[in-house]
Amino acid sequence: MEVQLDFVSSESLSPMGSMEKVAFILARIKKDIIVVLEEGLNPNEEAELIESTMREINTKDFHGIEFYRLDNPPNNLRSKIASYIAGKRFGLTIVGPTRMVRAIKKEPDYLSMLAKGGRKKRRINVQSAKKSTKKGRKKS
Amino acid sequence: MYIPFLNIFSMLDNLKNFYKTLLKIFGNKKDIQLGFYGAVNAGKTTLANKISLDWLGEEVGVVSEIPHETRQVQKVENIVVKTNNGELKMNVVDMPGIATQVDYKQFTEFGIGEKGAKERAKEATKGVIEAIKWLDNVDAVLVVLDSTEDPYTQVNVTIIGNLEARGIPTIIVANKIDLPESSNTKIENAFPQHIVVPISAATGENLEQLYNAIQEHLT
Repeated sequence: MEVQLDFVSSESLSPMGSMEKVAFILARIKKDIIVVLEEGLNPNEEAELIESTMREINTKDFHGIEFYRLDNPPNNLRSKIASYIAGKRFGLTIVGPTRMVRAIKKEPDYLSMLAKGGRKKRRINVQSAKKSTKKGRKKS
Repeated sequence: MYIPFLNIFSMLDNLKNFYKTLLKIFGNKKDIQLGFYGAVNAGKTTLANKISLDWLGEEVGVVSEIPHETRQVQKVENIVVKTNNGELKMNVVDMPGIATQVDYKQFTEFGIGEKGAKERAKEATKGVIEAIKWLDNVDAVLVVLDSTEDPYTQVNVTIIGNLEARGIPTIIVANKIDLPESSNTKIENAFPQHIVVPISAATGENLEQLYNAIQEHLT
């Protein structure tokens, strides 16, 4: 069983607009890659991710996604601005194709995921602002 | 650490409350557009049916154990509910359940043929999109959660996060309290920033408390 994980740094996502981020994530998910985002999506982007996923679902090989964010965004104006000043970002987020992600235990500060392999591959990818997707890939 | 400039938020809160009070006294009071959001099979349509049946004498939609039974937005207008403080006028908008995945095979397990299941899956995906689009058209929202399930799911977090980001007044409804395994405490712990009203849409338990909460916090 092989699973490919792409780790994406916050620097590489931050220049992207919401739709671009969602397209970036979904393109990988549809290739059976589990994406780990250093910085999570905001609620609006999460809604866009669900909406775009619904448009992409078919009856053959793509039935949707599972995604999990490790912490919550601030829930009121005061904490939002305080977080912004402090430079705090929404937490680590994992997005995977639903047929690969098998079980999850999730609490606000704890996340456990079981995944089964998709296609034949065995890679761990790390993407940063300095390296493009292809350059940043490491094969193991 | 004390940060003096954050006092401005207390002033803003006070100003907001004052404005709300003025609106209540002098404002042109209209019926609220109350959206029912939640995950699939949380009991949104059961609640909409109960409210509509009690006050209008008609049901909103079909309820079943099959996921995505509600695949289109269903609206019931001009519901007038008698509460402790007078009348509550509202239009109820029952949304399809929000999900991140739709597999037609989940419908075939309930005896639906493959062709029908695929069509149902297609409709279900459209329903989810429609429900998300409707976030721009509701005045207030009841987030209906199944109190027998773990409330801390990403779907629930995303729905509530979106409502908070858009500033839409929200009450969380802890549904299915008639079932022995229910726990509204888990829901209160998961979303402590929101009012949680435990009810049973199936039996009608605590609905009066819900109406009063809607009138007090959402209108």
